Parts: sequence; C-alpha cells; structure tokens
Amino acid sequence: MSPNKIRQLPTFARMVSAIWYRHYRVYQNNFWTNSFPTVLEPLIFILAVGWGLASAVGTMDGMDYLTFIAPAQAMMAAVYTSAFEESYGTYFRMMVDHNYDAMISTPVGVNEVFWGELLYTGTKGWFFSLVVIVVLSFFGVIHSAWAVLVPFVGFFTAVAFGSLGLFAARLVKNINQFNFFITGVISPLILFSGTLFPVDKLPPVVSIVAKMLPLYYFIDVSRMLTTGRFTSDLYIAVPYLLVVPFILGAFAVNSMNKKLIQ
Amino acid sequence: MPTDSLIEARQLVKNYDDFRAVDGVDFHVRPGECFGFLGPNGAGKSTLMKMIYCFSPRGGGELSIFGLDPDKKASEIKNRLGVVAQTDNLDEDITVTQNLQIYSGYFGFSRKQIQPKIDELLAFMSLESKAHAGIRQLSGGMKRRLVIARALLNDPDLLILDEPTTGLDPQVRHLIWAKLRELKTQGVTILLTTHYMEEAQELCDRLLVLDKGKVLSLGRPEELVKNNLHPYVLELPVAKKSEIQIPPSIQLETHGDKLFLFSDTPSELEKIALPFQGQFRIRTTGLEDLFLKLTGRDLHESE
Ligand SMILES: Nc1ncnc2c1ncn2[C@@H]1O[C@H](COP(=O)(O)OP(=O)(O)OP(=O)(O)O)[C@@H](O)[C@H]1O
Ligand SMILES: [Mg+2]
Repeated sequence: MSPNKIRQLPTFARMVSAIWYRHYRVYQNNFWTNSFPTVLEPLIFILAVGWGLASAVGTMDGMDYLTFIAPAQAMMAAVYTSAFEESYGTYFRMMVDHNYDAMISTPVGVNEVFWGELLYTGTKGWFFSLVVIVVLSFFGVIHSAWAVLVPFVGFFTAVAFGSLGLFAARLVKNINQFNFFITGVISPLILFSGTLFPVDKLPPVVSIVAKMLPLYYFIDVSRMLTTGRFTSDLYIAVPYLLVVPFILGAFAVNSMNKKLIQ
Repeated sequence: MPTDSLIEARQLVKNYDDFRAVDGVDFHVRPGECFGFLGPNGAGKSTLMKMIYCFSPRGGGELSIFGLDPDKKASEIKNRLGVVAQTDNLDEDITVTQNLQIYSGYFGFSRKQIQPKIDELLAFMSLESKAHAGIRQLSGGMKRRLVIARALLNDPDLLILDEPTTGLDPQVRHLIWAKLRELKTQGVTILLTTHYMEEAQELCDRLLVLDKGKVLSLGRPEELVKNNLHPYVLELPVAKKSEIQIPPSIQLETHGDKLFLFSDTPSELEKIALPFQGQFRIRTTGLEDLFLKLTGRDLHESE
C-alpha cells in the first residue's frame, strides 16, 4: 500500500454521469419493451379522442380540441415515465436488486446516486416528449416551430415528477402503497393541471390551487410552444420550470439520504 | 491521527432504534493481514462491516479506516476499498462485462482504460467464458466470483468480504480461497466474515469472535483454541452422559445431541470411551469447538 498509488477521487460530475450511464445502459437492454407503451399511449389517446371526443367538444380555449390536448400528451409521457421510474423503479432497485448498495460501496454517495438518477429520468422525459411531439406532428396538431423546445420542458417535468416518485419510494411501506401515489397523487395532478380542459373552467378557488400544482406551468408552457400563442404567463412559467424541479429534487435526494443510510 | 493500523475501532456501537446491534467493540486490523469476524447469525458481523465500508454511520465510539474518519471522509475511504456485501447486488439486466464497466465508472475509470483490468479479473476468477453472458445465466458461485472480481477493479488496499463463500460448492470455495491468498501475498489487507471454520482457519491471521454485538474473544486461530480449550476432545452421544464418570480435569460441553469432553491427554479420554466401541470419536480440538463453546449455549437459549 504505497500512498503514491492512491487514485484521485472522481469529481461529483463524473460520479453523477457514471450513475446516469448505468441507467442508460440497463435501460438500453430493454429499450423496446420499455419505450413502446410510453409512445403508444398518447397515440391511442389522440386517436380515441380524435375519433370520439374532439368532434363533440369542438374548440377549447380558442383552439381545436386535439391541438389543445397535444402538448399535454407530451408532458404526460414525461410524467408517467419519471413517476414510475422513480417510485416503483427506485423501490425495486432499493429493496429487491440492492443496486444502491452496490453503488454506494464505491466513492459514489447517496447524493450522486439520486442526482444521477434524476438527470437520467429527465433525459427520459426529454426523449419521450420528443417522440410524442414527432408522432403528433403527423396529426397536424403542432402549429409552431417553437415545439422543438417542448422536449426540454419534458426534461424539467420529468425531474420534478421523478422527485415526487422518490418521495413516494421513501414513504411506502410496501409495493401496494404505490397505488396511492399513482391514483391519489399523479392522476389528479394530471387531470387538474390543464391537460384535458383549461384550469379556468374550474371553480375560482380550485383553479387557483390548480395553478399552484407542479404540472400546471409545464403544460402551459408546452402549449405556448406547440401553438406559438405566448401569454404573459411565460414570465412566471419559465423561472418556475427552471427552478422548481431542482428544489423538489434537492428535497427528494435529501430524503433518500435518510432512507438509505441507517 | 497517525496510526499503523488500517482499521481502528474503539468502543464501537451501532443502534437500530432501541436495539443495540454492536455493543462496544474494540479491535484493530494491521496492514497486510487477513482478519476474520466469527459469530452466530445476528451477532452483528455485517453491521460492523457496514460501518467500516461507510454504509452505516456509527452510533458511538471511534472508528478510523486508513486513518480517516468514515463520517467525514467516506468517499476517500471507499475509493480504496473493495466491498463484497452479504447479498449479491449485480445489475441483473446487463452482461458480466457491462457490470464491471459500469461499476468501474463509479471510481472514475473510463471504459477503455479499465478494459485490460476487466480481462485480467475475469481470467483471475475463471469467468472468461462468461464475459458476455447475462447475469441471470450465471450460477450462484459464478455471481459470487463476479462480485469479488468487481470489488477488485480499483486495486483496493482493503478488501471487505461478508460471507464470500456461503452457499458455494467446495470446488468454488477452494478456488476463492486460493485467489484470496494470492491477493494477500500482493499485500491486500482482507477483512472477512464466515460461518465456515475451515475458511477462517485457512485464511485468517486473526479472528474476532462476536455474539450479541459484543467481543467474546480475539486472537490468532491456534491461540484462541489453545487458550480456551484442552487440546483433545471426545465426542459421545448425549444419551451416554449418565453412564460415565467425569474426572474434574475434563471440560464438558453439550451441543445438539452430542457430548464433548475436553482433556489434555488422549489417554484420559480413551479410558472413558472404552465401553462405547464404535460410538465415539477422539480428535484434536479446533475452531469449531471453540465457536460452539463461546457462542453455542447462548444460541440455544435465545432460539
Ligand atoms: N437495518 C436494520 N434495522 C434493524 N435491525 C437490524 C438492521 N440490520 C441488522 N439488524 C439487527 O442487528 C443484528 C445484527 O445483524 P447483522 O446483520 O449484523 O448480523 P450478522 O452477524 O451479520 O448475522 P448473519 O450471520 O446472519 O449474517 C440482528 O439482530 C439484526 O436483526
Ligand atoms: Mg451478516
């Protein structure tokens, strides 16, 4: 054991990217099984709504109904992939496969593990919202070139909802309790955040609350980008989406510290 | 804190809520030695190891590894450790080589840089033919060897192995022992837990016997046996107890359905055994006897 042989510690960024790469690699091996449903779901949704609901609804918030819900589809893909990945996925990695035990027996610590994981989840959110936007563009519901920025909103959405998933993974006592998280937290967040109808249609009190929900501004901005119809909301929405996911992330990572380190 | 010990523990404590899993443990590990933890299930061996590999924070006492405090310098310490946890924790969905590549990334190695090391370790653990196999295609013994190979990617100064050979066939066990001895000659310090007395005997320079979080005994294997037991033992079925006269010079122990009589001379034992032709065995005492003596009674009472 000669001291001169001691290797330098990898930097925070290097460790975070090693974790990111781990998830990427593992995910790659199951790429199609994992990606297919995420892409298929919005497609089915658009077809069903397109054939059924859209003609009955007519216009919504001054645009045709498919145009209204299209950006929300991209965000929903980001929400689902990240919320599942970081709740069920984290739970399995933690309790069943013991992957985190392996990671943190290296210089990597809990912070690096979960920041790496959230960034990976963000990447998935980016990718899936990109795929959804590309698919939907064939349906003529994307009206502005600004839509190329939607996947970046998808990234931040996924970081935020991945963080919520981590809170769930920290809190559940067993796997069944994730049902509460999905049906009790994620589904209402999706329904009340302007996905299928404008939040303004809700009673005033509810609508104020809805605008404070994490998903509202992500969908709001996405809709501005796919339609090219920007509103003054932009000045709140942009700082919100740049900051809030990372605040949630910081709390989530901190809470995983408490869960994992015993 | 300058020290010539690689690991130094003083009055080390670990609590899980109200339960004290490690209760005032003292020991130190010298560079280059193989140090073993022995103890029954639940003794606190894994808990002790987790504190050393900076997985669990300690609940009290002092601990230093490489002269560093695990509460403050966990990454620095872990950078120089190889860890084989009690439960295998490979990435099941990717190949053997990918597992090693990814794990080396956590130490900051690039894939290109580490590839020669991966080839070397796969050969070292006789896993070359499995380089591109999925983890689910490996047997338990192969997985264990892979976890050990993975722990060697960073050329650790201290290798920590929590029951490395539990559940493996004798062939694989001997292979792993040979590899660990080879590492020792290269100057790697080894910390090991095992339930196999033969393994402790084969590999360990010093042993710490632990039960209920407390140290029962610490020393070289031969010394421990010599200091605690007479050199010869007679084994008899426990039913014979009423039929024999036991001189005061003899130490008596009962474990399971067997009676163990310890003495300084084999002739004394032969005399007692004479009426029981074919039902007894006289042999020299070993670690197993020591282990049973130190921990056996407690185990039976608590279970
Ligand atoms: N995370 C935990 N929370 C609560 N109690 C724990 C936890 N981990 C271990 N224990 C308890 O601490 C005690 C020591 O456990 P430990 O795993 O260290 O034993 P061990 O000596 O490694 O046993 P074995 O030989 O079975 O592996 C046991 O009574 C166990 O139930
Ligand atoms: Mg154990």
